[in-house]
Amino acid sequence: MVGKGGAGKSVISGTMARVLARDGSRVLALDSDLLPGLSLSLGAGPDPPEPPLREAAEKDEDGRWRLKKGIGPVRAVRRYATDAPDGIRLLQCGKTPREGLEPIMGAVNAFYRVVHRLERARTFDDWALVGDLPAGPRQVAFGWAPYAQTFVAVVQPTAQSALAARRVVRVARMREGARAVLVANRVTGPADVRHVEKLVGESVLAAVPADEGVARAERLGIAPIDHAPASPAVAEIERLVAALAGG
Amino acid sequence: MKIAVAGKGGAGKTTVSGTVARALARAGHSVLALDADANPMLGVSLGVGPEQTELLLGVRQGVEAGEVEHEPTVEGMVERFGADAPDGVRLVVANRIETENPGCQCCGVSPDQLLRELEDGGRTVICDLEAGLGTVLRLAPGNADVVLVVANPTAKALEVARRAVAIAADKTEVIVLANRVRDDADLEAIAAAIPDRELIVIPEDATIARADRDGLAPIDLDPYSPGVQALVALADRLAGAPVPA
Repeated sequence: MVGKGGAGKSVISGTMARVLARDGSRVLALDSDLLPGLSLSLGAGPDPPEPPLREAAEKDEDGRWRLKKGIGPVRAVRRYATDAPDGIRLLQCGKTPREGLEPIMGAVNAFYRVVHRLERARTFDDWALVGDLPAGPRQVAFGWAPYAQTFVAVVQPTAQSALAARRVVRVARMREGARAVLVANRVTGPADVRHVEKLVGESVLAAVPADEGVARAERLGIAPIDHAPASPAVAEIERLVAALAGG
Repeated sequence: MKIAVAGKGGAGKTTVSGTVARALARAGHSVLALDADANPMLGVSLGVGPEQTELLLGVRQGVEAGEVEHEPTVEGMVERFGADAPDGVRLVVANRIETENPGCQCCGVSPDQLLRELEDGGRTVICDLEAGLGTVLRLAPGNADVVLVVANPTAKALEVARRAVAIAADKTEVIVLANRVRDDADLEAIAAAIPDRELIVIPEDATIARADRDGLAPIDLDPYSPGVQALVALADRLAGAPVPA
């Protein structure tokens, strides 16, 4: 999931993950953002005070972080992912503490080492991997989500959000074998969808409506699918999951 | 004076930066608006327009392309790569990421470096930081005289704002903006997350929403709307230094 900050990446990632899990997929949710978000939208509560992956990292003789011996992606997910509702496993890089990044550098490092090896771990071949990336084009440009077959660019009907989506989609498509699709979020009607499509220059795969239930869930810090399971927004995300699976 | 604007993505950093910059310029100040986001958008809220914003060259890209000779000074880079925005604001984009593998971002000209080395020298530098906390963590005392932390009444934005305030307050003056406040409950939610601080309230504003939608500067659309007025008042206060703790 990519796009401008505030576009709704975490809400759509978290809800998609829940929908996939309820449909019977084994789901690994990957939170690559140093800012809080995905855990709340998944319904897994606030982030843990210390990222569990910290335990998976150690420094080598030269003082560089590495994964501890014997910890590959499968074991890392088994040991250091946490449980989210509907049987989802959540692996996260950790959240920036007040003191700065130093206390979580081991965890962040371990996270990206695991992430870079996920695609080669056959265990996950039949899992659904849903990654919530930080705002902007940085991680896509550097290839920090190599497991991604599809980049979903989330865009609100605003000029800045559209500009951000257009930029990130362009970068994502430079990556070999990756596709990028556009999902409009918080639209109030067909005019908003046309506005987004005109600004970005391509059509959307789904249009998630502006939804008071989701807005309330966001203010409360809980999962939209728990707070407003019958909302039009959740229904559209269900359609999005089906559309992505279909092609 | 040097002002940095921080907060979660989507909280309204760019709207605040652009509108305060324009208001300061209208009040007669010389203003340099520095876009420190690798996903640069400040041109939009300054009133340059989305398509024109897309054409602005990043200082980093300009220097890498060899468009300046020898060792350029920061002032020289700003002069060479800056663009004019309405009301005489000078807009400078530090860096844009728009290709895969764009090279080590620690090497070469960085947004942090531009903010650090630009002297205020009688003008106001207002810097729209990249979303998140990394930029606030790297901010050294003296890089900014004041940090505006933009908060929204959502759980995630408040968590980011709370952390940004804690980190920035160790280094410099902090002013917290309660943005998109619709009612007392919104304001109470922000006050509860960030206690014991004065909150500058920017009310939810249809003008700002319409400007966001259409890629216009809110101050061009309606300088007297409640949200824009709150930002103009903030600009007046910032211009009237010293900033209270």
